[in-house]
Amino acid sequence: MIHINNLSYRYTGGTLALDSVNMSINKGEFVALIGKNGCGKTTLVRHLNALLIPTDGSVSVFGMDTKDTPKVWNIRQAVGMVFQNPQNQFVGTTLEEDVAFGPENLALPQNEIRKRVDMALREVGLLEYKTRAPKTLSGGQMQRAAIAGVLAMEPECIVFDEVTSMLDPESRKMILDTIRQLHHNGKTIIYVTQRIGEILPFAGRIISMDNGRIEFMGTPREYLASVKSHVPAITSLMRKLKAKGFDVRDDVFAVDDAFLEITKACMKGYEEERNTDNG
Amino acid sequence: MDELFRSYIPNSSPLHRLDPRTKLVSLMVISILVLQAFTFTGLGLFAAFFVLLAYLSGVGTGAFLRSIRPMLMFFAFIFLMHLFLTEGEPIFRIGLVHPTFEGLVLGTVITTRFVLLILFASLLTATTRPSMITNGIERMLRHIPLNRIGLSSFDIATMMSLAIYFVPVLMDNAHQVRYAQISRGLDIRHNMFRGVSTTITPMIRGSLHTADDLATAMESRCYQGKYRTSLFELRMRTVDWCVLCGISCVVFLFSGYANY
Ligand SMILES: Nc1ncnc2c1ncn2[C@@H]1O[C@H](COP(=O)(O)OP(=O)(O)O)[C@@H](O)[C@H]1O
Ligand SMILES: [Mg+2]
Repeated sequence: MIHINNLSYRYTGGTLALDSVNMSINKGEFVALIGKNGCGKTTLVRHLNALLIPTDGSVSVFGMDTKDTPKVWNIRQAVGMVFQNPQNQFVGTTLEEDVAFGPENLALPQNEIRKRVDMALREVGLLEYKTRAPKTLSGGQMQRAAIAGVLAMEPECIVFDEVTSMLDPESRKMILDTIRQLHHNGKTIIYVTQRIGEILPFAGRIISMDNGRIEFMGTPREYLASVKSHVPAITSLMRKLKAKGFDVRDDVFAVDDAFLEITKACMKGYEEERNTDNG
Repeated sequence: MDELFRSYIPNSSPLHRLDPRTKLVSLMVISILVLQAFTFTGLGLFAAFFVLLAYLSGVGTGAFLRSIRPMLMFFAFIFLMHLFLTEGEPIFRIGLVHPTFEGLVLGTVITTRFVLLILFASLLTATTRPSMITNGIERMLRHIPLNRIGLSSFDIATMMSLAIYFVPVLMDNAHQVRYAQISRGLDIRHNMFRGVSTTITPMIRGSLHTADDLATAMESRCYQGKYRTSLFELRMRTVDWCVLCGISCVVFLFSGYANY
């Protein structure tokens, strides 16, 4: 449903932020986009709903080219986006007004807006807070409100751009649970993060970027393998992992078992990361 | 702005159920009339009218007192200005200072006018949710050809509701920058204006960043500044038209008396 063809993008300042990127995203996928700070993740995903228009190459969403100006509003309705800072994407004076902002822009009738607002708030578990002022909400609640704001537009695909980076571990877990639930209900998810640990257990596909280019694309399993650069046998990978201090058995040879072991270790690592963050 | 709009008190009184446009127009008319009152009878009449409406609204006295409190300094200033600077019969004299009886009367009248203005305005904000106020203003502005100056009534309504939320956010940011600098050793004990420029620079940068983020978020949620609908649609009912008729009658009556 999303096709990116030889996409390059240069900011007016002169930085070439994207350099001939090619990729496709299918309906119902859960894609994690990872990479260091400044490698071009945000620039890439902002092309997906025509917030940025390619300098070179093309982006097509459901067969609509993002350069096709009259289609921009359809594209933005189909691909929702949640941003990093929960405070800076709140536009209403109460929670329900904020969620209504998108449907209002689509000029839907009042009863339809009401229906969608309640549906979206229920989905993120904030229905009982609907008349609250933003000031009385926590960062995590505001971020879930932002997700509800996007859901109310009934998009096919939702992009999350480092949405958990400003949150405490508890809210982070809640947001991730919400996102998994949305994926389960059939939404296509593109999740941008610098913390590979938080997303590895959930993502169907990992895309890793470096310096404006795609460096790796594949399953989490393949990604784990590629991190230890060109290890041929799974056993030797496991040994190396163990030598690096990962808590895995090194007598595993079946790929699936290794995957299980690594995921377990990752979850544990993620858990530990959470605990240290807590402390 | 925040204080003003946070004063909404949910209830289902007849005043709450009026259309915001009715309330906005009535407030404007009453304000103009109050600003022209200069006898105690006239002011007393408006005060009695306010008490009646306040009773109808079911909003407690506390809410109105809260709306007056931040303005107390201003009221005191207006009153004392008139008391001391009006020419006339002195009450007493200490050196050059001599409050006058005329000043006492004028000060009381003018201060009362302002107090009444604030009270009537807080009656509007206490009985109308902020989005309804912006909505009402938007609908009234829709008839004015704003697009000549490159704006739409929708832009103005959106700007107002953004201001309600963002003015306090920006104030918070300013405080944070200030505290961050004090905690890094900025000494403001001897000169509180010290470091104002170093506070303002990050603040402006922060605000521009916020504005940029916000614009992006709004665009990605399909904001076009063109025709949009609302979660709360407005409807003028019979009672709204009755109130407007009543207000017109009052204006007609008062225009007959130049002195009230
Ligand atoms: N508005 C901008 N103007 C100029 N350069 C920018 C702008 N935004 C980002 N860049 C540059 O583009 C590159 C990619 O940035 P970005 O997409 O934000 O990376 P990421 O999201 O992966 O951290 C960086 O080198 C950054 O400095
Ligand atoms: Mg980024």
